[in-house]
Formats: sequence, structure tokens, C-alpha cells
Amino acid sequence: MIKGQPTSEPVQKPPIGQFALLPGLAMLLVLPLVAGGSDYILQVFTHALLLATLALAWNILAVSGSISLGHAAFFGVGAYTSGLLSLELGVSSWLTIPTAGLSAVAIAVLMWLFCHRLRGAYFALATLAFVEIPRVITDNWDGLTRGSRGLVGLPGLPGLRLGAHHFDISASPTGSYYFVLGYGLLLLAMVTLIFRSNLGLALQAIREEETAASTLGIQVQKYRLMALLLSALFSGITGACYAHLVRYIEPGMVYGIHFSAIPLIFAICGGRFTIIGPALAALVLYPLDQFLFHPLLPAGHEFLYGAVIILTILFLPSGFWGQLRKGHLVSIKTGSIE
Amino acid sequence: MWTTVLVSGIALGSFYTLVALGFALIFGVTHTFNLAYGELLVLAGYVAYWLWKTYGISLLFTFPAAIVVTLAVCLILQRLFSRLREPMEMNSLVVSFGLAILLQNGMLFLFSGDYRMIRVPFLNEGFRFHGLYLSYGQFTLLALSLLVIALTYLLMRHTYLGKGLRATIQDKESAALAGINVSGMGILAFAIGAILIGLAGPLFGCIHYLYPTAGLQATLIAITITIFAGVGRIRSLILGGWILGLAESCAVVVLGASWRELVSALMLITLLALRPYGILGKEEQ
Repeated sequence: MIKGQPTSEPVQKPPIGQFALLPGLAMLLVLPLVAGGSDYILQVFTHALLLATLALAWNILAVSGSISLGHAAFFGVGAYTSGLLSLELGVSSWLTIPTAGLSAVAIAVLMWLFCHRLRGAYFALATLAFVEIPRVITDNWDGLTRGSRGLVGLPGLPGLRLGAHHFDISASPTGSYYFVLGYGLLLLAMVTLIFRSNLGLALQAIREEETAASTLGIQVQKYRLMALLLSALFSGITGACYAHLVRYIEPGMVYGIHFSAIPLIFAICGGRFTIIGPALAALVLYPLDQFLFHPLLPAGHEFLYGAVIILTILFLPSGFWGQLRKGHLVSIKTGSIE
Repeated sequence: MWTTVLVSGIALGSFYTLVALGFALIFGVTHTFNLAYGELLVLAGYVAYWLWKTYGISLLFTFPAAIVVTLAVCLILQRLFSRLREPMEMNSLVVSFGLAILLQNGMLFLFSGDYRMIRVPFLNEGFRFHGLYLSYGQFTLLALSLLVIALTYLLMRHTYLGKGLRATIQDKESAALAGINVSGMGILAFAIGAILIGLAGPLFGCIHYLYPTAGLQATLIAITITIFAGVGRIRSLILGGWILGLAESCAVVVLGASWRELVSALMLITLLALRPYGILGKEEQ
């Protein structure tokens, strides 16, 4: 299996160590104390963290070389499953959020049936078209999903009861922030485990050279399916968290191209061959967008994302974190998106 | 009722062929996927809408302005694409996806997110032809689309330039060996594609609401028909366009207008599932 070092380049120490991230983590942990007065700052960073989890989840599939343009399908199905279960049946969000993840896995199985033979650009195109299926069905199935009116007045994120103490997470922005931060750190740990496990190594081998990987006895299709299902599971959970955080969803929003594009942009900008790069890009770019570009240019501020993706592909193909960590976890094909 | 479905399906399908024509040409010559194709179409539609609404310019005279704008954007896009490395298909897909986001936000800034449509009252009137009811809108759509397709066919089949383009589509290396300027053919393909988009955009604005994110549907339609037909086969493109147009018309009548958008997506997924190696066949992968 191909591990770590590229064969063509001499071994070199990355210019920046992973411990350089610790101050950043410390800042995230104390942010509510620093920004205590401003709910807006906290809300922006809560969203940034949530989008970071989506980018991390997307990257589980991307590490196998399959670029998806259809993660809004998982995100949207997760959001609707959790929203409908809690709204119609009054189930606690502690149960509906994991269920949402499983429903996204079910949709991923359907996607796999259509797309398992496809690679590269054709896989990406098929996923792009696939999103239309759950979107149009949700939009038209008025009886179940309330159609294009969307779901209004969703309950907030789940509360926590410890003995006599009751923490209502949704009551304050601080509670929501720490809930999403906790989920993000948990997912980061999971993704690190996945990348370092045999599954992760197999996926990277498939990305580098699929034929060689299968010659070595790696069951290519089995591992690609596992990557897709894991990626869908966490994207669905993120979608459910989004539904309870924003408390209002409608088909055009959660199945929109926005939530398919966002993880792709963050992952490519941060570095697709790194574990944490996609999350870092989310934590930098989304606040930049909200604090700087949104006030300057209320309509059309998201041009930033389009510009970022074009510039990254042209000038920094391994992404920012990938460039800083060069020599570690870098693809032998660095420079190409495949 | 079914003759109405047939007429509107064929008119719509001919227009879809016109939309796919530029995409297929650009893909065939340069092997790049242009996900911003639909956005360019919507941009051309907006240019026509803006001229028609603010200056009262007749629809017919908005075509040149739309062509100028799409030509400018397409030539910038060509410069972008020419800097990309292999694999071209994947890299161009991601870069043009970025461009699509840029264009969507640019149009949101310039034209706002409101739904807009070019309404020419004359196009809603109709006439009877051997018992068949045709609106002038459908007639214009059908006639203009088929005229442009026929002109492109003549260009490709009966001129020296067309021969060079077809040779480049069939085999880049051999074409270069035969003395054809392959990169020049790439620029030419983008230019012809831009002209086709500039002609299709204002028509799109007459039959479909314009809003900044309306382009995705058009991109899916162009890709679907191209994958159905393969590259360099204009007659198969027409067949693919008609099948898609008829399928959409049937879906609107049987299921309702809101299910229409599912047709092209389902057709694309099914085609890809049946032809997993895509447009160019196995050896290109």
C-alpha cells in the first residue's frame, strides 16, 4: 500500500507541525467567553463549525478519489428526517439526529446503485443529477413533507438532563455553539481514526492507482461503498443539526447547490489530502465571508467561494494546509484533482 | 391533447438540441466539462431581458448584444481552461463549477434574485395549420432552433473549418500531425459555442423564468443530450433533444409541471449507469 511519503520526492519535514493548531483549538474553546457580548459572532462561528463538519464528512469520500457534487442529497434528507420526526411525532432530537444519519445512509445506498461503476468527472455529474430526485420528491409530496412551504417552528437542539440539572442547549447561543463544537471534535477524531485505519489506507491507495490497489488485493468497490456510506452518515447528521439550529427548512434551501458546493470548496481550498484542512478552510472562509464580504456586498457575496476555488486549482492544487504540510500525507499525484 | 404534447415536445426538444450543440462542440474539441454552461445561457437571457425591459429593444436585436457578452466570458473561460493540467475532465469540471458560483453571484448582484421573463404578447397568439394548433412562440422556437442547427451542420460538414473541427474531435494527435492548429480549434470551438449560447439565451428567457440559479437545469439538459448522442453527431443530438423534450412534455401532462425537472436528471443518471465510461468510451479513461 502507498503510505505517506511520495516516492518521487526526497523525504522532507513539513514546514509546519500539527501542534501549530493547538492555539486555534484553545481559541475555539474559549470563544464564548471572549465574544460573550455578541450573539452574532457566536452564531457565525457555530455555522462555520457546522459547515466544517460537512466538509470533513465530504472528505471521507473524496479521499478515495471520488469528488461528489451531490452531498446536498444527504444533508437535505438528514434535515427533513430529523425535522419531520420531531415535528410530527414529537420524538426527542437525541433520537431523531442519529435516525437522520441512517436515512442519509439509505439514500447513499440508492446513489451507489446508480453510480458504482462511474469514476472521476462522470461520478461527479451523476451525483449532481442525483440530488434532483430527493429534492423534487420532497417538493411534491405535500402530504408528508408539506412541500415547498417547508417545515417551520422546528424544536431546537436537544437538551441535556444530568440529575437535577437541566441544560437547555438551544436556549442560548453558547449552548448551541458548544454542542456543534463537541460534534465537530468528535467527527474530527472519527475521521482521523478512519484515515489512519486500514480503510483509510485502502482508500488512499485506490485514489492513487486503482488498478494497482486491486492487484494488491484491495477490494476496491467494497471500500468505495464504505467511504460513501460513512460520508453520507455524517452529512445526514450535520443536516439534522442544521435543521434544529436554524429551525426552518425548505426543499430549495437544504437540497440546493449551496450545500453540495460548500464542502467541495472548503475541502479543495484547505487540502483534500489532509485530515483537518477542510475544517480549517471552513473556519477561515465562512467567517471571512460573513464578517467582511456580506456587509460589503449583501447580494452576491458568495462570489468569494467561486473565486477561491478557481484560484486554488490554478495556483495551489494541494490546498493551503496541504501546502504547509508538504512531505506528509501528500499524494504522489499532487497537483491533480481526480 | 396528445398532438399538443407532441408539438410542444418537439419545439422544446429542438431548443434543447440548440442548447446542447455548443456544449457538445466545446466538449468534443477540448475535452473540458463546462458546468458554467447554463449560467452563461442565463446571463445571455438577462442581457436580452435588460435591453428589452429598459430600452424597449425588440427581441430580435438583443441577440448580437447577448453574443458579445457570452463571447467575452467564453474566451476568458478558454484562457482559464488552457492553464489546467490533466485530468482535463475533472479539473475543468471543478474550475467551471467555481465559475458558475461566480456568475450566479454576479447575476444576483446585477439583476437581483427576482424571477424575470421576457414577455412578447405576439408569441402567445397562435395559428392553425392543418388542424394543428401552433403558438407563434412554439413556431419561433422550432424554426430558429432548427435554422441554427442546420447552419452549424453546414459549417461542420461543408467547410474547411468544419473539417478541421471534426478532425480535432476525432483524434487530437493525428489532427495536429496533419497540420491542424489544435489549440486554435479549441478557441474556435469556444467562440462558436459562445455564439450558440448567445442565440439560445434570449429564447430561454422567453420560455423560462430567469433567476441567478436557473442555469443548473440547462447545464444538466446539455450534458444529458451530449452523453446520449456522443460527440460530433449532430443528428443524434437532435434525436436526444426531441426524446428529452417529449419526455418532459409527457411528464408535465401526466404528473404535473413540478415533476418536469426530474426528467433530465433521471435520464442523465440512467444514461451514465448504462454507459459508465461516458462520452468518449473506455480507451479515454
